[in-house]
Amino acid sequence: MGFQSQVEKAKNLLRTRLCNPNFIIKPLSDSPDSNYCKLKFTISSSITEACNNSILLVGPRGSGKIAVLELALNDLLQEYPDTISLIRLNGLLHSDENCAFKEIAKQLCLEHHLLFSKMGKQRLLYSLLDAMNTVTSQAVVIGVSCRLDVDQLLEKRIRSRFSHRKLLFLPPSKEDVQRLLEHVFSLPTDSSFPHDYAAQFNGKLQNLLADDRFKEIISSYLDLNSTINHLVRFLFIVVSLWESKSGFLSLENFKSALSSIQRQPKQECIKDCSILELYILVCMKRLEVKEQNSYNFNSVMKEYRSVHDSFQTSDYYAWDVCLRSFERLIQRELICFTDNRAHGQSVEFRPVKLLVSYVELQGGLKSYRSCPIILQKLMDH
Amino acid sequence: MGKEEIQQITRRTTRSFSSSSATGNEAVKTKISESYIPTLKDLVFGGNHLSYDDLLSSFPTRGVQISQIVHLLGPLNSPMLPIFIYGGASTGKTSIILQIFRHLNRPLVYASYRTCYSPCLFFESILNQLLLHKKNAVNGYSSSKRCEKPSDFVNLLRESLLSVIGDLKVNSGKLSSNKLPGQPNGSMVYLILDNLELVRNWDKSSTILPFMFSLYDILKMPEVGLIYISNTSPDTYYSNVGYVEPIPVYFPEYTEEDLRQIFLRNQENRKLYLSFLDVVLKPFCRVTRRVDELSTAFSSLFRKYCEPLNDLEHVSYEEMKRRLFSHFQPHIALSLNEIFQVPSWPPLEVESNKEKKRKSSIRKSGGCEDFAELDFHMSTSAKYLLISAFLASRNPATLDASLFDSTAGSDSHKRKRKASVKSLEQKEAAEQELLMKGPGTFPLERLLAIFQCISSVVEGPLDEENENDVLRFESGDSGFMSDVLMQLSSLCNANFIIKGGSCPLEGSTRYRSMITEDMALKVARSLKFPLPNYLYRR
Repeated sequence: MGFQSQVEKAKNLLRTRLCNPNFIIKPLSDSPDSNYCKLKFTISSSITEACNNSILLVGPRGSGKIAVLELALNDLLQEYPDTISLIRLNGLLHSDENCAFKEIAKQLCLEHHLLFSKMGKQRLLYSLLDAMNTVTSQAVVIGVSCRLDVDQLLEKRIRSRFSHRKLLFLPPSKEDVQRLLEHVFSLPTDSSFPHDYAAQFNGKLQNLLADDRFKEIISSYLDLNSTINHLVRFLFIVVSLWESKSGFLSLENFKSALSSIQRQPKQECIKDCSILELYILVCMKRLEVKEQNSYNFNSVMKEYRSVHDSFQTSDYYAWDVCLRSFERLIQRELICFTDNRAHGQSVEFRPVKLLVSYVELQGGLKSYRSCPIILQKLMDH
Repeated sequence: MGKEEIQQITRRTTRSFSSSSATGNEAVKTKISESYIPTLKDLVFGGNHLSYDDLLSSFPTRGVQISQIVHLLGPLNSPMLPIFIYGGASTGKTSIILQIFRHLNRPLVYASYRTCYSPCLFFESILNQLLLHKKNAVNGYSSSKRCEKPSDFVNLLRESLLSVIGDLKVNSGKLSSNKLPGQPNGSMVYLILDNLELVRNWDKSSTILPFMFSLYDILKMPEVGLIYISNTSPDTYYSNVGYVEPIPVYFPEYTEEDLRQIFLRNQENRKLYLSFLDVVLKPFCRVTRRVDELSTAFSSLFRKYCEPLNDLEHVSYEEMKRRLFSHFQPHIALSLNEIFQVPSWPPLEVESNKEKKRKSSIRKSGGCEDFAELDFHMSTSAKYLLISAFLASRNPATLDASLFDSTAGSDSHKRKRKASVKSLEQKEAAEQELLMKGPGTFPLERLLAIFQCISSVVEGPLDEENENDVLRFESGDSGFMSDVLMQLSSLCNANFIIKGGSCPLEGSTRYRSMITEDMALKVARSLKFPLPNYLYRR
């Protein structure tokens, strides 16, 4: 197999791995005190002992709760093939309780009829937990949430029926991350892959992982986003930036991935503005500094005119043109109206405010190509 | 899957249709049966094959973004994480992603939240494309499946995706040796969701928007790729429901050099156009860098620039440039201030009209609008009504009695007091208040009272222009009043007058005039009505 096609095959393999949550979560679930083991133990013990149970999985978004759950459920479905039936509900999809009941009936292959008509709020949870106490069938209710205080949101009667088992999904430690990186990026050395290339690749990978600069990049990324999914997203960008010309991953790929993911959207937005739009922003900033509590487009135009009169700028445009630029700024979400469409006033009379801070505006002006010097001067006064 | 949802929406038919269906049935039926039946080939963007170099040359300034997207999409049948393309308006996001898919020839499903403006429409549009369903007369222009809830959508989507992917796999297995033209490559389906920023304004956006973002996690199908396109950056979509953000791809606005390259494409006379751009690009880029706005401005300006070309047949290139520039330069400042205007007449007529009016100097100040005429037609009564509304919004109600009694315009004879410092300050404060508050509201009765006062002042023969006017100014005529109310409602429809808040005491509706003082003066001038005499100035 030619070199290019080996590289392509490696790329494909890495991408497939990164898009497969089951693969990602495996190295983190190996240790005996991992959440995976605890979860599996709880569910399997309730199956064997024929008792009811309820567990809550909480952790920030992207920390792998569903992935661990799926992994545990897959294993259990293999161990106890006919004794488990699974129902999956999603708060986003089944936000209405009738909808949730229909979904349960559908997944249980029952003909749907409305059970439990008209009770209070959270009746689904209540009825489920209640049924577990009274009816002879057994169920394990597993709740997943990204809010750490989700049990405070439950009603009292539900909380009382809950067995308070909570599994917390913490951000991965440095060793975990190292293991994950090795696990994801190591090419297999079995016959499915050309052996020489794989060995070379893995060797270079080990060098990279031991490099201090590399560790710094990874830790600076994790300082901002410490969950597994965010890391996976970052690694995906790294693989996409990996040029086919070079056969191996390099530090440069990681560096450019970091810079492409760490964006400053408001600064970019300011750089996208035209010079007239910058004038309007600076005039608004001056009005705010003068402590005018509320101002509208007409006040901004007055300030614009007075700036032009005192400094004789070359950028003095008609009212229509400025109004159009003003509307563009609203589209870009750099400024916004402060009323809620009250009384249907037209655009020039509605009060507005800036959505960028003065520091951001200053930074944007500094990095703007060919910014008129007058604008920087106006910012300082 | 149960006995489901091919709901026949009963449609009302017109008499002609139901009568013709009895007679012309055979012809209609054969026509319908010849109509197009979509196949898997329709999942591709279509058109001739586009090579990567052609792609790059058709978007000369977007090389970085194109390569970023192509690398994120990856090779054939390689799974991908969702990507989020964002950038200002008219930066080429939609057209580039569609042309990339034309180049890659991979199956895609496209939905824009602008045309699918509710969740139901969106779900049905996606399902129709996947199920290769075309709305035509046979099925009464209905969708293949009726779908309103996200949970139903996910189930139906998963089903239809599995069937499409299965067909695609069969296809790609068959054609691995010789490729038939038009068949899509690979067995992955890509969903492109355009204009995502509009979802934030929907009714149930707090649940629908997180749902759209977590579609990839909910589906859990590696053969589906998700691409979001939005005008605003990802940080404007924050919510407290959990989803991992998609990978951002940023499309910055074009720089001046980019714009020069873009505008030079497909020009026959590149040298001439380049000299034109050298003159015009820099000043216009200070106002806007959007391609759509600049191209409309440049097209008419280029014609003006090339006007003296006939006289410049045998001069050197430099000399020609200089002469063209000197002819063109006075127009630049003028056109900068008109850059966003849409001409109401076709451009050629504007030229001839303008030449007739302007005798000597070309250069005018930026406020040339003040001296222009009203460039659309309104009936005389509508004009009077508009002026009355403007006065009612502008003047306080207590002044009506003195202004509108029989001695109209007597204001000007009042003794002018010397302006003291305090009164100047008061004047300034009053002006400031006018700027901030905007036009006031007035009840209907006040408007009609002012209208009657104004229109009763007019005596004598009407202008030749208004000869065809139906309305005659006789007070106390009841037919007159109903005409006025109709005029008022058409002015409201045109947003010259809007319904403001209601009176807190009585609860009757109040109106507000929305026109500027310039426009009111223009209207008054066309009626030869002395509007400034009636304006309240402190």
